[in-house]
Amino acid sequence: MIHLIRNAIHEGLLNIRRKLGSFLITLLMVSLSFMVFDIFLIISWNLGTALKDEQENVGIEVFLSDNITEVQAVILADIVSGMEGVRSVYYVSPEEAEAVFRADLPEQADLLTLLGPQFHLPPSIQISLHPDYRTSEKVGALARTVSGMDGVEDIVYGKEYLPGLTRAVDILEKLVILAGLVLAVSLSLVVANTVRLAVARRALTVQIMSIVGAPGWFVKVPFLGEGLLTGVAGAAGSLLLTLAVSWMLSSSLPHDFLPGRWIMLVLILGASSGAAGSWIGMKSGIPKPRS
Amino acid sequence: MMITFGNVSRFYNNWPALESINLQVQPGEFLVVSGPSGAGKTTLFRHIWMGDLPSTGTVEVAGYRSDRIRKSDLPFLRRKLGIVFQDFRLLPERTVFDNVALPLQVAGTSPKAIRRRVFALLAEMELNHRRGSFPHELSGGEQQRVAIARAMVAHPVILLADEPTGNLDPEVSRMVIDLLIEINRSGTAVILATHDPRQVPAGTARFLYLERGRLVNPGVWDGYKQL
Ligand SMILES: Nc1ncnc2c1ncn2[C@@H]1O[C@H](COP(=O)(O)OP(=O)(O)O)[C@@H](O)[C@H]1O
Ligand SMILES: [Mg+2]
Repeated sequence: MIHLIRNAIHEGLLNIRRKLGSFLITLLMVSLSFMVFDIFLIISWNLGTALKDEQENVGIEVFLSDNITEVQAVILADIVSGMEGVRSVYYVSPEEAEAVFRADLPEQADLLTLLGPQFHLPPSIQISLHPDYRTSEKVGALARTVSGMDGVEDIVYGKEYLPGLTRAVDILEKLVILAGLVLAVSLSLVVANTVRLAVARRALTVQIMSIVGAPGWFVKVPFLGEGLLTGVAGAAGSLLLTLAVSWMLSSSLPHDFLPGRWIMLVLILGASSGAAGSWIGMKSGIPKPRS
Repeated sequence: MMITFGNVSRFYNNWPALESINLQVQPGEFLVVSGPSGAGKTTLFRHIWMGDLPSTGTVEVAGYRSDRIRKSDLPFLRRKLGIVFQDFRLLPERTVFDNVALPLQVAGTSPKAIRRRVFALLAEMELNHRRGSFPHELSGGEQQRVAIARAMVAHPVILLADEPTGNLDPEVSRMVIDLLIEINRSGTAVILATHDPRQVPAGTARFLYLERGRLVNPGVWDGYKQL
């Protein structure tokens, strides 16, 4: 049995070696089409992490009217902190706001001095949200409620930025799935076709092997192996090419490469479409032995 | 009984390539099947190695019955048979050695045992000096001897030779027929399909005549009287 398995693998490798040139061209084509998918994945991954970072920071900044007293402000903060979705509330007094301003923007600090001692920054309440409430609809709803309260002057939250990013990531994820499907189908068809050609080219070998008593699997393994190898090696090649491109672009366009489990996903996609392709190719290709 | 055809018919598009064939072959027999082209000789052979199954009736070969055989049994049936064709059907990208070794390689024989058997057989058939050659480098007669070596390498109980001399000139044909007779003498049943049964000396074989898918009453045929 062990000799039989070894012979089957040997036969498959011989097949590939006999047409190494066209095999390498097929590999290159598979790698290049996979590369498009890899790049999609990288963009999706990076935008996804950016969105997640952004969502971590999502909060609501509530500016209060100037004439509100500190006691009123603290009562207001207390009410807000009891609202659904609110994780914590922090009151920023005019003095603290000014200190933060001077610390964050030292170049503009003169501006405050210029405006004179009568001017001061408005007090505000910083609301941080529970993770579940960090979607644009829920943030918007909460912001509307708070903006209707007495003593609230203005409200700022990421309403411009966030929905756009969320939608972009959403669309991109769908595109990635679509691209993956298209890739899997087209790779299967490419492999099915090369396997069908390989079977046709080796029709005599297939027939003679079957006539001299080779088990069915022995005849099929070389073709199945060829398809599997095309898929896995093509996917691996695409990852290497993409890594090279990613590395070249890393200084001008900072980004992360794919995480390990996404790399596995790409390899598995290659392997399964390759195997499916050779199965389809063999099903339509292997002739019954005739004489 | 080694081979039994029980009232076998095979239809292709309602046209009978074989019709009501009853035939028995004993172990070690030499059977010559002749008849014009299109008579059904190749179809008969194909039923023996079960590359095709009868439309009606049953074929039994070396204990395998056509109405019960499973796909997974076919390799084991075929390892008991050796098959030789008119057009040799050697694999062009393999050397003589690897062509002859093929039936052993696909049966999982160890490389050492393969080498021992193939070398011995090639020596016996005076093909040893050709073991590294490729089929296209050989003459027709040499190719057919390599094909016979491939058919015999796994010690089959039946050798099927389907017009093995059809592509060879008379002198080489005689050598091939002599080789088949020799193989039969050493105990293997041989079934030979041929246009020209006179190639085989009377008395060495049983002769059958096939015409339009039927085994013809031997008396009608003006061939060998022993029919
Ligand atoms: N697979 C097939 N499909 C249709 N017709 C076939 C097939 N195989 C053989 N035949 C027909 O059966 C008849 C016998 O063919 P064959 O057995 O090859 O004859 P022979 O070997 O005696 O020359 C021929 O008429 C041939 O056309
Ligand atoms: Mg024929």
